[in-house]
Amino acid sequence: MGYKTGVCNFCGTGCGNLLRVEGDRILGVFSAPGHPVSRGRLCVRGWHIHELLNTEDRLAYPLARLAGGGFVRVDYRSALDQVVDGLSRYAGEEIAFLASPRSSNEDNYLLAKLSRAALGCNNIGLASDSGHRHCVDVFMQGGCWPAMTGSLADVETAALILVVGSDITRQNPIVGSRIHLAARGGSHLVTISSRSTQIARLSHRHHLVRPGTQGLLLYAMARILVEENLQDRDFIGRYTDGYEVFVRSLEALDMGAVQQATGIGLDDVRETARRIARAPSAMAFFPSGISGLDRETIARLYNLFLAAGKIGREGCGVNPVTGISNLVGSYDVGAAPDLLPGHFRADDPEAARRLSKTWGAEISAAPGRHPAEMLSARPCGLKALVIVDHDEEIVRFTQALRRLDLVVYLGAYANPITEFAHLIVPTTTFAEADGTYTSTERRIQLMGKKLEPSLEVLPLWRICASLAERLGRRWSYGSAAEVMDEIASVVPSYSAVSHAALEHRFGLQWPCDAQHPEGTPRFAPESPRDRLRFVPQAAPSAAPVSTDGYPFLLIPGRANYYWHQNNVMKKTHIPRREYNALLLLYPNGLVEICAEDAARIGVRDKWPVNIVSADGSMRVAARISADVPPGTAYVPYFVQEMIPGFLRAHGAPDFPGEDSVIPVRIEKV
Amino acid sequence: MYVITREGLRDLLESLQDEHALFGPVHHEVSGEVLFDRVDDPARIDIDAPIPFNPPKFAFFPQFGRILRYTYDRRTKDLRMEKEPLGEAKALVGIRSCDLAGLLCLDRFYLGQEFVDEFYLEHRKRTFIVSASCVRPFAQCFCVCTDSGPCPREGYDLNLTLLDDSYLVEPGSQKGAEVAARLNMPEADPGLVSERDRRIDRSISLFDELARENKAWISRVVNRITTGFVSEDVWEYIGSQCFECGACAFVCPTCSCFNIEDANTLAGSTDRVRTWDSCSFEGYTRMAGDHNPRKPVEDRRNKRFFCKLSFSQSKKYLRPGCVGCGRCARICPGDIGLPNVVACIRREITGRE
Amino acid sequence: MSGNGEVIVTVPEAAVVEEITEEIEDVRTFYFRFEDPDRERDFRIRSGQFVMCTVFGAGEFAVSLPFSPEDDRRHISVRRAGKVTGALHQLEPGDKIGIRGPFGNGFPFEEIRGRNVIYIAGGIGLIPLRSSIVHLLQHRSAYGRIILLYGSRSAKELMYRYMIDTWRETEGFETHFAIDRAEPGWTGDVGFVHTLIPKAKVPVDNSVAFVCGPPTMFNAVIRELTSNGMKDDVIISTLERHMKCGIGKCQHCAIGRTLVCTDGPVYTYRQIKTLGEHI
Repeated sequence: MGYKTGVCNFCGTGCGNLLRVEGDRILGVFSAPGHPVSRGRLCVRGWHIHELLNTEDRLAYPLARLAGGGFVRVDYRSALDQVVDGLSRYAGEEIAFLASPRSSNEDNYLLAKLSRAALGCNNIGLASDSGHRHCVDVFMQGGCWPAMTGSLADVETAALILVVGSDITRQNPIVGSRIHLAARGGSHLVTISSRSTQIARLSHRHHLVRPGTQGLLLYAMARILVEENLQDRDFIGRYTDGYEVFVRSLEALDMGAVQQATGIGLDDVRETARRIARAPSAMAFFPSGISGLDRETIARLYNLFLAAGKIGREGCGVNPVTGISNLVGSYDVGAAPDLLPGHFRADDPEAARRLSKTWGAEISAAPGRHPAEMLSARPCGLKALVIVDHDEEIVRFTQALRRLDLVVYLGAYANPITEFAHLIVPTTTFAEADGTYTSTERRIQLMGKKLEPSLEVLPLWRICASLAERLGRRWSYGSAAEVMDEIASVVPSYSAVSHAALEHRFGLQWPCDAQHPEGTPRFAPESPRDRLRFVPQAAPSAAPVSTDGYPFLLIPGRANYYWHQNNVMKKTHIPRREYNALLLLYPNGLVEICAEDAARIGVRDKWPVNIVSADGSMRVAARISADVPPGTAYVPYFVQEMIPGFLRAHGAPDFPGEDSVIPVRIEKV
Repeated sequence: MYVITREGLRDLLESLQDEHALFGPVHHEVSGEVLFDRVDDPARIDIDAPIPFNPPKFAFFPQFGRILRYTYDRRTKDLRMEKEPLGEAKALVGIRSCDLAGLLCLDRFYLGQEFVDEFYLEHRKRTFIVSASCVRPFAQCFCVCTDSGPCPREGYDLNLTLLDDSYLVEPGSQKGAEVAARLNMPEADPGLVSERDRRIDRSISLFDELARENKAWISRVVNRITTGFVSEDVWEYIGSQCFECGACAFVCPTCSCFNIEDANTLAGSTDRVRTWDSCSFEGYTRMAGDHNPRKPVEDRRNKRFFCKLSFSQSKKYLRPGCVGCGRCARICPGDIGLPNVVACIRREITGRE
Repeated sequence: MSGNGEVIVTVPEAAVVEEITEEIEDVRTFYFRFEDPDRERDFRIRSGQFVMCTVFGAGEFAVSLPFSPEDDRRHISVRRAGKVTGALHQLEPGDKIGIRGPFGNGFPFEEIRGRNVIYIAGGIGLIPLRSSIVHLLQHRSAYGRIILLYGSRSAKELMYRYMIDTWRETEGFETHFAIDRAEPGWTGDVGFVHTLIPKAKVPVDNSVAFVCGPPTMFNAVIRELTSNGMKDDVIISTLERHMKCGIGKCQHCAIGRTLVCTDGPVYTYRQIKTLGEHI
């Protein structure tokens, strides 16, 4: 009984906590003093994780759907038999696995292994991943590794901090706090966003850019760096390739049009560009995963910081901040259709061969398809889908789901999405099983089991092993620690990691290998072979423009405290109450517009309005907000009705960042 | 008065453990920082450790606790209600004077006023308190500004003051005297009283040098806050840095706000639970029908510091609402713990930057 | 338990819903009796008090008691506004609810004997005042003029229309009604309720006013009354707040230096002005 060290499982920050275990329940949480990331702090979600862990709104036992409707309770053995019977009827190309970025490394490693090795299926992918995937791709292209290049420990020593497009004090509050405290301690803080946010208001400088032009601003800054000869020639010469091509690509920018397009005066742009270049150290943060940036903007940010020599040193780095606890780790262990564990490409025959050998099973060297892509395809070749712990984002695929032959749902908590399932198999919560989770700063942390489950439930990794056994594969993992041992043998950056090594410490940052047994705080080019590369960037595309017919630019926002439909938030008391504070005021959705625009349209707060674009319309309530400038409208997409309707028609949820700006008009009803 | 050695202290703890659940300061296994926690092994308790990261209030005021369980069957109209059996005997050891002052505030609030809160009473009775004087302050402390230390004056059963290798033991209650007598504690030389006083005076004198993180000269600010004359700009500035996490209330030894929810169980019954709550949250005062009298974040900050520092609240507790423990300053993501807020208001009063 | 020994403080007391009637849209009245016959016999309230009502399986909410302290059926009238009140509206006669209380102070009847009493209500603000109105009418001769000024957005949002006709049978009960906009069939006044104050020639001397309604209405009424010379210690209101414990411990209902559940919910305007926070 007492406070036991744990890791928060909500966002990707990976704060340390102390869970108060009393008997068979977790009856409290406290922040963990001395934790290198959270330093004794937590956000409103983290302070209430015990409420989630206490809920009995859980999946208590396996269920199988009856032909006539409704579900019947079955035991695990029968449920798993039925899962295997079901899946065995289909070829690998007809099955897909939608993995959860909240599952542990051990869970997702075995899920991917089940898919690839036992079912010959490479169609495994993560929910809500498009933002982070862009980051993974750009950073790998850039010769770096696919996650934060620096550490949060660098924040205090960064002379300049740039936050691009993230409402960071709401999405990752403790990272936001580190940045805010650094700014109070002397770092110069600059924010770029299309909407006023708390971090923008706490910055020394906020570039309130027109929607869709964040990337353009970064492009312009790089051009200024080169024009004014402020690039870090020494760094570029020693550690990078591709600079010449990069410089030539900058010529495609019409500097004269930048001010008009972004709404930011060129002098201000120059000032920030010069500051970035001249600062002895600089870090950039941007959201990844949820509310992530688009590929081009990430590329431009990366290249800018590379040109300024601000990657690979203390107090420096380009840092994606992930929105969910194990988004980073899930990629590391291969929960992607075209990536094997360790970020090897699935179409790399040598990598496939090596993995086949370790797994004792033939892995096809052909990349799979992402389940989301398969669900959107017409015709849909998908027959069977396995979904893990999904937050209802899938609501956009309602029709496609209904047409599948087999839907299997695995998770701990009750979830409306189970209405679509044929088989429901409960799992443990993250407090009821050992597991490791990799935070946004590459910190692999062990969340040890805190209590025996009160229900007869199994961890996901064990369920995968049981399913594999039924498929004729003899996997003998006695514990999650043994699964991690195998992960360490196939994922090079995890090679020195083990549960034993993670005990009694606050995690290890990968790469954690023979050369770096204590982990690696930041990317630092160590040898001439570690060349960073300027990433090819496309010529700037036309910024979205408003017209007389569509005078507003609408930005769909993905997270302002929230994830998707907030299934886990709804299981708590206080975070749910806070979430409701906004939602109950606007039950059918809302659009934020400024007071001036509202007056012009003739509406007041909570009055209904129609949002009309060239492709569709939706009715929501107006919310008057000082956070958006005239001509900008912001829609937080978490309200269910808005997704299948309007936003889906515009493909908005699929395209993060700039690509999801929609010109609209807003009319009084 | 008595004096005991470290072995004598161990004997005391083991004796208390015979009939009480034991709580005290322990070291976190990874960071080494100090936590206040329940222990099975008295040897883990380190009375001389720095001020614990968390306040001891969870022992009487659980963060999440069931108070009632009921089952109502709508078909049969059968209703059963069962109060939660509460209250085990507890021994809280190593409580510092700030935290003890906080407990006494909670006592006066929960057990006084119009009603006695029976749930708090059940948790609180049968508690044996062994407090510890602070012979030195820690970096975050400012109890001298809030009249809550460094030496406890009341509310303890036994108070310990470290004198080199031994502890002066002062009973503060009948229960405490009985325990000391039962354990045959050696009587203290009367001269040790002045030795204790000397050490406490020295502790106070060390604040300048050691308690460097926070200086909260609150008296002038108390007046301003009570009369409501702090300008809106100041509250807006403070509010702009609030992350609305609630932590200030959770770490505060005197914060007592709670929420009540009915949560349905898989067994078909319903648990009525009380949980910590905080006036930091927007939903804290929101009414059905959506009127929210304390919606802007700056109004909520205003309210918090009114609660901690105004005269009216002091009357309720018979002392200021802040005990100078410094935890809110450490834990606030926005860096607006009470000391910084006080400093901000003082700057407004004096017009200096 | 502590305090008034007859107060049900922490564990709800079971009560059976005997009858449910529809009032205006989204408002229902639930007539109840305690299961325990001793409790049923001994339960006493003062006008102005409230109870915490448990809807088993959903939660608990604060609700004012609209029945007179004597000779009146026990009931609550509740608007469906959220999760718990929504669950309440699903109940049927025979279902059980839980009651804790009564809590709070009451209207100061003893102090206002012999005075003129003016009730000014807006919308469902008439519900908390009903207890006092019925009580005064049961003791008509102890008071001077009794006036009710009542307004709502529309005629169909006026509470207790059927009851008011009965009340008007009591001699010397003056009533004036107003709705925001004219409607066919409406013969009362049109406009906001505070405009009835001059129309009704509300007396200022030796009078006390009970005001209950939404904040904008309250402010307008206060302005009208005080500009007529009424003193702020004879203008009385009942304040509403989000409540959880009802016994002055959870502090959700705090306004400045007061806790509405124990110091209130009935306050004079003089007190309201010095609370230290907006209502």
